[in-house]
Amino acid sequence: MGNMSKLLNRSLKNTIAYSAIVLACSIPVYYFILSELWRYEMAEHNITLSPEAGREDSFLIIGTVTMLTVLFFGLLIAGLILVNRRSSGKLWRPFYSSLEKIRNFDLTQQTPAFEPTNIAEFEELNEQLHKLIDRATVAYKQQKEFTENASHELQTPLAILTNKVDILLQSDGLTEKQFHIAEEMYKALIRSSRINKNLLLLAKIENGQFDKSESISIRTLLGQSMEVLQEYFAEKKISVDLNIHTDVEIQANCDLTEVLLNNLLMNAIRHTPAGGVIRVILSVLKLEVKNSGEHALNPDLLFKRFSKMSADNAGSGLGLSIVQEICKLHGWEVKYRFENKEHIFTVLF
Amino acid sequence: MKILIVEDEPDLARDIAAYLSGESYLCEFAANYEEALEKIDVYSYDCILLDIMLPGGTGINILEELRKQNKQDGVIIISAKNAIEDKIRGLQIGADDYLAKPFHLSELAARIHSLIRRKQFDTTNIITQHELQIDLLAKLVMVEGQEVPLTRKEFDLLLYFVSNKNRVISKAAIAEKLSGDLADMFDNYDFVYAHVKNLKRKLQEAGYGNYLKTIYGSGYKWEI
Repeated sequence: MGNMSKLLNRSLKNTIAYSAIVLACSIPVYYFILSELWRYEMAEHNITLSPEAGREDSFLIIGTVTMLTVLFFGLLIAGLILVNRRSSGKLWRPFYSSLEKIRNFDLTQQTPAFEPTNIAEFEELNEQLHKLIDRATVAYKQQKEFTENASHELQTPLAILTNKVDILLQSDGLTEKQFHIAEEMYKALIRSSRINKNLLLLAKIENGQFDKSESISIRTLLGQSMEVLQEYFAEKKISVDLNIHTDVEIQANCDLTEVLLNNLLMNAIRHTPAGGVIRVILSVLKLEVKNSGEHALNPDLLFKRFSKMSADNAGSGLGLSIVQEICKLHGWEVKYRFENKEHIFTVLF
Repeated sequence: MKILIVEDEPDLARDIAAYLSGESYLCEFAANYEEALEKIDVYSYDCILLDIMLPGGTGINILEELRKQNKQDGVIIISAKNAIEDKIRGLQIGADDYLAKPFHLSELAARIHSLIRRKQFDTTNIITQHELQIDLLAKLVMVEGQEVPLTRKEFDLLLYFVSNKNRVISKAAIAEKLSGDLADMFDNYDFVYAHVKNLKRKLQEAGYGNYLKTIYGSGYKWEI
């Protein structure tokens, strides 16, 4: 509303300045006309005044005219302000209502319904806004659908290729060289499938295809993930320090939360040197995953899709983007910081 | 044993049949919804591989029809949809298993094997291969009556090999099998090697023959 009074004050200020000038200019005009009339009346009735009395009259006329002018000016201003306040507030309301709606709008929602107005300019503005938003929403939807459809369509050829390699491996007389080529194809295929699966998951999260109303306990899910990952901790001789101060019981999607925990933990395993330490701390509405590291990572790139932060290219490049999307979906926040030679990922539930 | 492959992608259907051909399986095909309905109406199968998205209808309806007719055919859904809801729905209305595309044929073979086992024997479920006995219910492995202590992973691996006997399985496929979705972030197959090595050692120590062959250092084959 701060902007609103500014805008109204501006128009009011001009009006007041203009009225002040006109009224001020009218003072000599009134004076001239009144004194002329006065003089005429005096002459008609053959009255002559001494120069002192004449000057006195002049002062009287000027004084009265000025006073009256100021009085009317005051009335005018008071009236103007009142009327302006009342009618302008009403006049501009559709504008501010539209503004408020646009401010609260994001592309995942439906186009907001603007308040109908009988002012041509505002109606036009609303119409154009509506068109603009519609176009943006359609483009956004198409892009999302495209990702989902493209990933779906890719599943079948990927399946065919994978199975062909399976069959190829069964051929008699496959030389060692050929076998290894087939094996490399296999690995590349597995990687493509994973990227594809993760893209599909991202698209589905964005398209809101998950129920967020399950009651879950982060402590339980965390325990499950740790157990499953135990083998990988052991393999890399990573020691795990699990510190649970309190449970976090929350409404969320269970499968996605599992994905979130697994991704954070696997990310830590992958980027912790053998023999390193991973610390996991669960406290009031907060989860921290810390692992030892040498250099801080760029937090702006970290959560971006396909931005590889390390030379190791095993991952799909989507793990942390998925973590971020899952957080966004639930209204949680995920943050990264580097402190005391530790990478720290924090999820605020 | 009769298997019906309900799959509209001819390449996929053929490859599945080709991979399974060594076993005593007889594969039949249905490439669309109507064909599938006709077949399940007339015949019964030990196992039906069911794609969800079919020309003319959805595999879910076929499954519903099957259960309505009170048929006991085992059903494995093979779907490109990979949607959690589809999986839950399918299992709720009576599918026995769910496999998301793309999958390894060795994984599919293992699932079929285990499904047919489950359907055939209700009380005791023992696979015998020479002097080796695998009790699927008790999850026990015996060699000449002597129990071989295996970890769960090793037990799963053994079953995987046995159900893909005389087939070459690559390390990559085993890694996927052992780590499931978690394989996502790992590209290191050393742990496969470690598990296979342990399994081999334990079986040999118990006196079981060396049936597990290594192929060019990166694949395995259970030769019987």
